[in-house]
Order: sequence, then structure tokens, then C-alpha cells
Amino acid sequence: MDLDEMKRTWGEMSNEIDKQKKLTDKLIIIMTQQKYNNVLRGISIPETIGAVICFATVLFVAFNFNKLDTWYLQLSGLLSLIILIVLPVLSLRSIQKMNAINISKNNLKQTIIDFNKAKQQFNTVQKTGFYMSFIILIISLPVASKLLSNKDLFLEEKVWLWYIPFGFLFLYLFAKMVYKYYKKSTTNAENLLKELDN
Amino acid sequence: MQQKKEFIKAIKENEGIIFKVTSIYCANKEDQKDLYQEIVYQLWKSFPLFRNESKITTWMYRVALNTSITHLKKEKRNGTKLELDELVEYKIEHKNTLIEERIQILYAHIKNLNTIEKGIILLYLEGKSYDEIASITGFSNTNIGTRIGRIKQKLKSEIKK
Repeated sequence: MDLDEMKRTWGEMSNEIDKQKKLTDKLIIIMTQQKYNNVLRGISIPETIGAVICFATVLFVAFNFNKLDTWYLQLSGLLSLIILIVLPVLSLRSIQKMNAINISKNNLKQTIIDFNKAKQQFNTVQKTGFYMSFIILIISLPVASKLLSNKDLFLEEKVWLWYIPFGFLFLYLFAKMVYKYYKKSTTNAENLLKELDN
Repeated sequence: MQQKKEFIKAIKENEGIIFKVTSIYCANKEDQKDLYQEIVYQLWKSFPLFRNESKITTWMYRVALNTSITHLKKEKRNGTKLELDELVEYKIEHKNTLIEERIQILYAHIKNLNTIEKGIILLYLEGKSYDEIASITGFSNTNIGTRIGRIKQKLKSEIKK
């Protein structure tokens, strides 16, 4: 089928579609209202839940910070606080940027450029978050142990003998999955940008 | 209230545009329904910003295409889907099976194009001028011509296969 034939067929199809009026006033109103609710409920649920957990942990550690009585526990606590505050903020901001693209004013080209930029920023934040989880893995357990049961895990070698290998094994398997996902996502973004230059 | 009335009127007059955009960007009915609703929502959200600087159809194509690009490239959202089954069930089956067959071939060709080419070919098939296509997509008139030429070549090579 060549382009002229496609145009003729498209015209015939358009006539058929134009004859069928499917939308009613009520349907349009319900659609915009329900979609609005869906968007509110659907906005990045995993990231929002993650942020709430992080901030709750921050409050818990901050209010009990005086219980961390050695310099290494204080350092671990402080690092945990910084990571748990900065990462969710960056993550939610990058999602907000992705949703803030002006699709009403932008042309298609600009939308693709803006969206890819926001998407790549989001991927970078997610990847950073992932690498930070290795640090969190090491520093969170002693802090939690001290605050919850007043035990200094840095002095108990046995715990580290199983915790570190199992923790890293879990993170390694998780890393493989995450890497695969971000590679696909980045490749898709790059392909779309290539289409712009062609 | 007046704005709502104007919006509903505009959507009803041009509902075919939304259907056609969703039909070229979605692989299945489920995605198509979701995208259809998303486009109507985005149109509603940006309707107050529409100031008649361009034709309403130009604005609708722009919002619909931009929404398709950003919505489909996002991860699936967990929001509940609306039960509006009848919404995008436009009948494009024709009594004449030959036409129906041609429509299927037409879609098969479009599905083989890349994201940007799909948008350009949709506007071309809708009978838009190069100026209008350029204004909606942001590419120059010359670039639009080049891209349409390339699409023609693609179609020719597909026929040869």
C-alpha cells in the first residue's frame, strides 16, 4: 500500500468514525473527574510510600539521636539521616519534573526533548539511590540495634559474619534486576532522541 | 460553567481525533482506553490556557500527540481503570470486507513506523499542510518533507518484501 492509497483508506475510515458520536456530556465529565482522582491516587505510589517510610525513620532517628553514644554510631546515624532525607526529596522532585512538562504549549519535538531530560534525571536519581542502599545496608543495622535494643553491633563480630555476605548477595541479585530495567529505559530514551536527529 | 460547556462541545465535535491518535500509538484496547482518558483529562486541564491563537484542532492534535509520547513512555501507573468499555469502541469494521482489509493493512504499515514518524504520518493522513504539521511537531517544513519522503521509501521496501 503506497502513501496515496493509505490516505484514501484513512479518509474512508475517518468518515466512518465521524458518523459515530460516542461521547456524551456526562461521559466527558465523569472521565475528567475520575481521571483526576486516578492521577492523584496513581502518582508514583512506590516512591511516595518509600518517602513516607524514609521520613518516619528520619524522625525516629533524630528524636533518639542522643542514644547513639559513640562517634561511629553517631556518624552512622548522621549519614543515615542525610541519605534518608536527600534521596526521597530528589526522587519526588524528579517525578514532579516529569509531570510538569507543558504538553499544551510544547510542540512534539520539545516534548520529547523535555521528557527525555526529565526521564534521564529520574533514572540517575534512582541509580544513585540504589548505590546508596549499599551504604544504608551497612550503617542502618547498628543504628537500629542501638536505638531499639541498646546493643552496639560494631562490637559483635558474629553478626557481621552473616549480615554482610547475605546483605550483599541480596543487593547483588537486586542490582542485576535494576540494571536490566534502567538499561532498557535508557536505551528507549536514547532511541527516541536518535529519531529526532534523523 | 460556560468553560465546561465549551470544552464538552469541542471534545464532542472532535472526538475522532482522540480515537485516531490513540489507535496509532497503542498496541491493545486496554492501553488505548487508558490513553484516551488521559488525553481527555490533559485537554480539560489545559483548556483554560487555550486562547484561540491556533485552531482548536491544531491544539488538540498537539496535546494528544504530546500526551501519547509522555504517557506511554512512563511506567504503568497503579490508578484504577475506568469502566468505560463503550468509550473507544468505535466501529471501523465496514460492510465491505475489502475496505476493512485495507484498514488493517494501513494500521500494519503505521505500526512499523517509529514514534515520530507515526505522529507525522497521522497528521499527513489527516490532510494537514506541511505548515500545520511543522507547527504541531516543531520540525521545519523541509524536515517534514524529508521525513515523509523517508516514510514513502519505507512503505515501498515493505511492499517489495
